[in-house]
Amino acid sequence: MAFLAPLFLLGLAALAVPVLVHLIQRERKTPIEFPSLMFVRRIPYQSVQRRRITNWPLFLLRCLAVLLIVLAFSRPFFRQTPVQAAFATSGAREVVILLDRSASMGYGDTWQRAQDEAKRVIDGLGNGDQATLVLFDRNAEENVRATGDATRLRAAVDAAELSSGATRYAPALRLAQSLLSRSTLGQKEVVAISDMQRTGWERPEEIQFPEGTTFTPISVAPVDPANISVTSVAFNRARFATEERVSVTAAVTNRGPETLKDVPVTLQIDGIQSGSARATLPPGVATPVVFPAFTLTQNFVRGVVRAGSDPLESDNTFNFVLSPARPSPVLVITRDGATPAESLYLTAGLVVGTPAAFQVESMPISKLSSAAMSRASVLVFADVTVPTALGADLKRFVERGGGILTVLGGRSNTLDGEGALLPGTLAAPKDAPGGRFETLGVIDFSHQALELFKMSKSGDFSGVRFFRFRPITPEPTDVVLARFADGTVAMAERKVGGGRVIAFGSTLDGDWNDLVLKPVFVPLLHQITRYLGQVETQPEWQTSGQVVDVTQRVAALTAGGADVRVSSAVVLSPSGRRLTVGEGGAVSSVEVNEQGFYEIRPQGGAASGRPFTLAVNLEAGESDLSAMDAQEFTAGATGRASLVASAVPTVVKPEETERRQSMWWFLLLVGFVLLVAESVLANRLSQKPVVAMPGTR
Amino acid sequence: MEHHEHSGPMAGSRFVDPKVLARIGNLDLVARHVVDGFINGLHRAPHFGASIDFAEHRGYVPGDDIRRLDWRLFARTDKFYLKQYEADTNTNFAVLLDISKSMSFAGDGRVAKIEYARYLAACMGYMAHRQRDRCGIVTFDEDIVSYVPPSAKHFDVMLHTLDRAQPVRPGRLRAPLEKIAEHFKRRSVVALISDLYEEPEEILEAIKPYRYLGNDIMVFHVLDRAELEFPYRESSRFQDLETGEEIPVVPESLLQQYRELIQGHIESLRAKFSEIRVDYTVVDTSRPLDEALFSYLAHRERTMRVR
Repeated sequence: MAFLAPLFLLGLAALAVPVLVHLIQRERKTPIEFPSLMFVRRIPYQSVQRRRITNWPLFLLRCLAVLLIVLAFSRPFFRQTPVQAAFATSGAREVVILLDRSASMGYGDTWQRAQDEAKRVIDGLGNGDQATLVLFDRNAEENVRATGDATRLRAAVDAAELSSGATRYAPALRLAQSLLSRSTLGQKEVVAISDMQRTGWERPEEIQFPEGTTFTPISVAPVDPANISVTSVAFNRARFATEERVSVTAAVTNRGPETLKDVPVTLQIDGIQSGSARATLPPGVATPVVFPAFTLTQNFVRGVVRAGSDPLESDNTFNFVLSPARPSPVLVITRDGATPAESLYLTAGLVVGTPAAFQVESMPISKLSSAAMSRASVLVFADVTVPTALGADLKRFVERGGGILTVLGGRSNTLDGEGALLPGTLAAPKDAPGGRFETLGVIDFSHQALELFKMSKSGDFSGVRFFRFRPITPEPTDVVLARFADGTVAMAERKVGGGRVIAFGSTLDGDWNDLVLKPVFVPLLHQITRYLGQVETQPEWQTSGQVVDVTQRVAALTAGGADVRVSSAVVLSPSGRRLTVGEGGAVSSVEVNEQGFYEIRPQGGAASGRPFTLAVNLEAGESDLSAMDAQEFTAGATGRASLVASAVPTVVKPEETERRQSMWWFLLLVGFVLLVAESVLANRLSQKPVVAMPGTR
Repeated sequence: MEHHEHSGPMAGSRFVDPKVLARIGNLDLVARHVVDGFINGLHRAPHFGASIDFAEHRGYVPGDDIRRLDWRLFARTDKFYLKQYEADTNTNFAVLLDISKSMSFAGDGRVAKIEYARYLAACMGYMAHRQRDRCGIVTFDEDIVSYVPPSAKHFDVMLHTLDRAQPVRPGRLRAPLEKIAEHFKRRSVVALISDLYEEPEEILEAIKPYRYLGNDIMVFHVLDRAELEFPYRESSRFQDLETGEEIPVVPESLLQQYRELIQGHIESLRAKFSEIRVDYTVVDTSRPLDEALFSYLAHRERTMRVR
């Protein structure tokens, strides 16, 4: 028998209380009147007789009650032999093993050590114990569900593989929390095996493990890790004659404590080394390494930057995909005999950019033909009366995916004469009321073409003054992009087949309004034109764990050209896994979680040219191997550092033993029951007739 | 002379419990009730009077009332004799009633000592009155409270005095008794009713003047049963009724000693009073009045015999 709070035993001094009560006994509040104390006074006050205990059962009851309550407070428990303790511990444990498999665990032998630790925990399981193996990186995955089968668990640990994901603790801890809260077993334990990367904490998480859960962090963090990583790559594109030359600048970071000299950094383009450099890397700084420019001729050129070598190889390489910047062709159509000044703002606005975003060609309406249309992806009609003869061609152009921006002025008509293309019906030109001006009242920033201006300070439309405009009345199926302050539609869109038509209700020549003079004009024009031309800019690389929307790409593949029409596409991961997307033209997205290059090919058919390719890299933070200590990790995981259990789970602390035995509770209960019994008994006794002294008559 | 011949055991039921008497309230009624019942039990003849009790003959001396001459004896002897009757030996009867605060004590469910003492005094006074004795009363605590000199007409006054007597002050025996003793010039029967919380010597000193004056003294030691037996169980503070002094007492521990002390006190008084031929009766207030009255009657009988 031992005590958790032996100081409370001092309370046994309270045993003197019942003794004193019995010896002194309670005195009545009112004294008993007696004719004369003449004789009483003669009897010596202190006599041995007075020390006699009158009611032994009552006395013992009181003593026992006090004794039990004092014992309860001193938290007694029976010491256990290690065998008993082991039995008690292994009796019913629910263990959740959180095994970190993020990319950073690939550092040296870290992963091996983590697997060994996991197996050691599995070996420590006793009869009746259950363990769940959770593998986590950015996400947590329940690998083996609550089982007492150690063989299966070990096999699962062996079979587990490193991922390219970043470390995030919160999902794993939350999964452990939900697993444990469902568990019916008595002892709950979380063992987290990780390199304790500090970057794994995104923000304070509210993790509430069930009461009494033991949290055991096992750190396998490398000591003084040296790590080189390529964190980013920048491209400098330049047009040289008809070709595009790209120079690559890589940012190489040394995460180790010492300056590294003569680190080889190489650039591979499509598997062929196109440049190499030697860099000196001071610690903790990103050092730029510039490679000579190369000519970019094909789509989806794969590039890989490699820097030095260290125990964590995966972040020493950086992948990217480049395609030649191909300005989309735009045809600006003016009225016959128009001066260049009339379309100056339009043409000049469209060609702005390095390299130029659009390849702009200008021609009068009379020269417009289906051949000219086929060269362009977007047609811009600058206040032009379109002959009805062109209607069918235009319709075909749009249906095939072309875009039309018609800038409405006094000459504009319905494009095709039937009203099938123009989003709405046209009314006569209208002046702003009272000779003043009109402003844009409502703009639908949720529209893809206008999304860029959604944020504050990213485009001010309020200062644009419209003096004259051409009201449109759109059909219910048309989309209104903007309205004037008086509610008149200023811009509307109609989708026809695979293409889009946008009508702008005023001219863009600086005559009817001053939009062309506002800073917002060029971005607006570019956004609308890009939207109409369905120009997509593919980022050069993705980060592992991102979800990439490939709907457009799949649609392009399945819509097909002249060759075999396919209905779906296949995504091929760097490790060779295949994923079919785009069945039935549904929205498709791919989660890229492997480092390397993903390919998207049409299902069952060979694509003409190179396949669509995505480059995937590790998250930059994953290269930062600075670790937390176990205490800090526990505090982060549980909100308090006190739940740290010893690394050897079979050693049971006295607190734990006492908590399991919980004798104090029973002692306290019995003590209080005895006190109640004492009260009843004492009341009974005191109700026995004593000589009452009625008042004097 | 017949009454003492029937002084055998009396049926206790005939005597009314003091508690019942306490409800009557009127002392006169109480006394009549008690005494009549008591006497009726003693005597077959309802008319008991000293006037017809023949005592002795004595020779005629000039000046005697010739109506008292025993003519029959003269006829037989040719000499004048006078007939003398008991009733003619009228005496003074005085009650010395202690009305100190301690007399107010009443044990559990019993009448207070003062109450009991009142009945006793009233009863004895009533009997004396019926015997044509002169009765009077002195009430005292630490001083004399009231003094009713013995007189044949003072029975009512005596009852009134008894009625009025309230135990409020602490008491002493010697000072007031010595003070009043000088008024008892004529031989009297003196009944001292008290709880006698004094040292025996002190009590004797207080009584002595009366003895020297030739009075017949009866002492009624009125005690509640609680004072005799000390039946308390619970530890408590005990308060002296007279001094107000409080003493913490564990009854059980001193019970034995207390009983020994009170019995010792009683025995000591009994011995000392018998030495000076004073009748001493311990009166337990839980008992009917008869024991005390017997004591009185026995005393009367003896004194009459003596003379």
